[in-house]
Amino acid sequence: MLGSSVMLYYYLRVILRTEVEEELHSTESRLEKSIEEGGEVYQLPPIVEVKKVTDLNKEILKDTLIYDPSQDELEEFRELSTFSMINGENYRITVRALVVESENILLAVVLSYLVIILVVFVFLFYLNKSRNQKVWHPFFRNLDQMKSFSLTSEKPIVLMESDILEFSEMNNEITTLTNKVRTDYKNLKQYTEDVSHEMQTPLAIIQAKIENVINGEMLDNDQFVQLTSIQKDIQRLSQITKRLTLLTKIENNQFLNRERLDISSKMSETIHDFSEISTINIDFEIRENVWVTMDPYLAQVLCSNLISNAIKYSSGRKNILVTTQQGQLTIANPGESSIQRPEMLFSRFYRESDGAKSTGLGLAIVKRICDLYGFSIAYYFERGMHYFTISFS
Amino acid sequence: MKILIAEDETELQNSIVTYLERDGNVCETACDYFEALYKIDLYEYDLLVLDINLITGNGLDILKVIKRNKSKTPVIIISANNSLDDKLEGLDLGADDYLTKPFHLAELNSRIKAVLRRGKFGGTERIEFNEISIDTNSRTAYVDNIPIVLTRKEYDLLLFFITNKGRVLSKEIIAEHLWGDNSDLADNFDFIYVHINNLRKKLTEAGGRYIKTAYGSGYKFMED
Repeated sequence: MLGSSVMLYYYLRVILRTEVEEELHSTESRLEKSIEEGGEVYQLPPIVEVKKVTDLNKEILKDTLIYDPSQDELEEFRELSTFSMINGENYRITVRALVVESENILLAVVLSYLVIILVVFVFLFYLNKSRNQKVWHPFFRNLDQMKSFSLTSEKPIVLMESDILEFSEMNNEITTLTNKVRTDYKNLKQYTEDVSHEMQTPLAIIQAKIENVINGEMLDNDQFVQLTSIQKDIQRLSQITKRLTLLTKIENNQFLNRERLDISSKMSETIHDFSEISTINIDFEIRENVWVTMDPYLAQVLCSNLISNAIKYSSGRKNILVTTQQGQLTIANPGESSIQRPEMLFSRFYRESDGAKSTGLGLAIVKRICDLYGFSIAYYFERGMHYFTISFS
Repeated sequence: MKILIAEDETELQNSIVTYLERDGNVCETACDYFEALYKIDLYEYDLLVLDINLITGNGLDILKVIKRNKSKTPVIIISANNSLDDKLEGLDLGADDYLTKPFHLAELNSRIKAVLRRGKFGGTERIEFNEISIDTNSRTAYVDNIPIVLTRKEYDLLLFFITNKGRVLSKEIIAEHLWGDNSDLADNFDFIYVHINNLRKKLTEAGGRYIKTAYGSGYKFMED
């Protein structure tokens, strides 16, 4: 804009100058003509001056300052002096024109140009902005929709319609894609559930047959050991499928029952149940009761999975420590060294040590439950203890 | 006892029949929904073992029919579905117990007996085995009519032994009966030894000998 106005300024100046010069030339030639025709020598200082001179000089074109008594200031004039011989006499004809006026015109033109440009610019800026906002509105709304899209929620993505071809094409693609992902995810979950479910009956048959074999013919001790070991594996398989089903159900948000309950008292029931099975002692300290709102069954699963994890992975003779305080539940069990890959700790089927006793699903379930209710769970290792802390707030 | 087993898997059905008939029960079977409906309509049973997922219909509908007919036949549901809701629905409809597949036959047997006790005698039956008797209502055990003090687990253990007398019970079965899903925590079953030893001591010399070791690592409750 600035460049164009500077250019305009110089361009107009050149035009005005040439115009003034042309006018000077034409006035001069008219004067010459009138002198030639024997007319009176016209004088109007400082605009027109005609003098008889002895020598003929070259034409002079210059700027000059002349005092103007009417305005009481020095005015700039453009002056053209020509020398010519008319009717045998030498004349010097000087013609002047006021430059000031043309400069003013120039300034006015440039200034108004600048104002117009500025107004147009501001107008276009706001027009553009408002248009953009309108045009891009569906895009940004859909972007937010996509950000908030979650696979685990059953809801399909709802996109805003748009008249713009590219946007509506993009919407179609996104809708198709998310629908595909959703059905795949649903199928996968359904598959997990079906497989888990369908496996129970054959397992029940195997289980029942083994029991009849044990109670039927006389076996030798070795056969009995083998058969009971099979029973153990059946139980483990059954545990895995039950837990997978539970995981799927939590993911499907099928636990809608919400109750306000005291985690501390759930914990103390759980610890009581486990104390009969495990030889490891559990120290339970309720510094403050922790009240949470959640499904009571899931609360029980949460507590028992955490405790059973602590029992399974305790080493040494130290006690397991459980404390509740300030909206937090902390479980600490003795261990030799920190978990090598803590980020994997809550993934399904992740085990670091001999996992014969573990399904590898306990902590994954704990994590899912925490995710479901927005609790946060943290793991750290300190002075020979594995710590798990759940913050319920 | 006359028991109807409504289960569409014949293999499982046969195994259950084999196990229960050894105790002198008479078992009949129904392979699908309609056969089950037909049989409960026609005959009287002391107990119905009912699978929820019958091929041709839902076992819960059979349960509804039984309750609508004001039949007193107790029902134990066996289901491949572990969900709490299904369990509650079954029990709400009037089932007497709910067992999730896979289960141990010894477990089914002990549940059947518990249900039969509750149904027949208003829950006050005393179970007798020689000098040992158990009052299942007050959960008290007696030796020669003198009450003995048992912990909850010891009581459960004794009841489980007596209801499955003459059967070989592996430690796995016992652990699962006593601790359910948590029994997988038991790595060496030391705690079962502890409970069984305590129980033996409390049953005194005479009673203790009924708990016999079978095949080195299992148990069997029987007379000499």
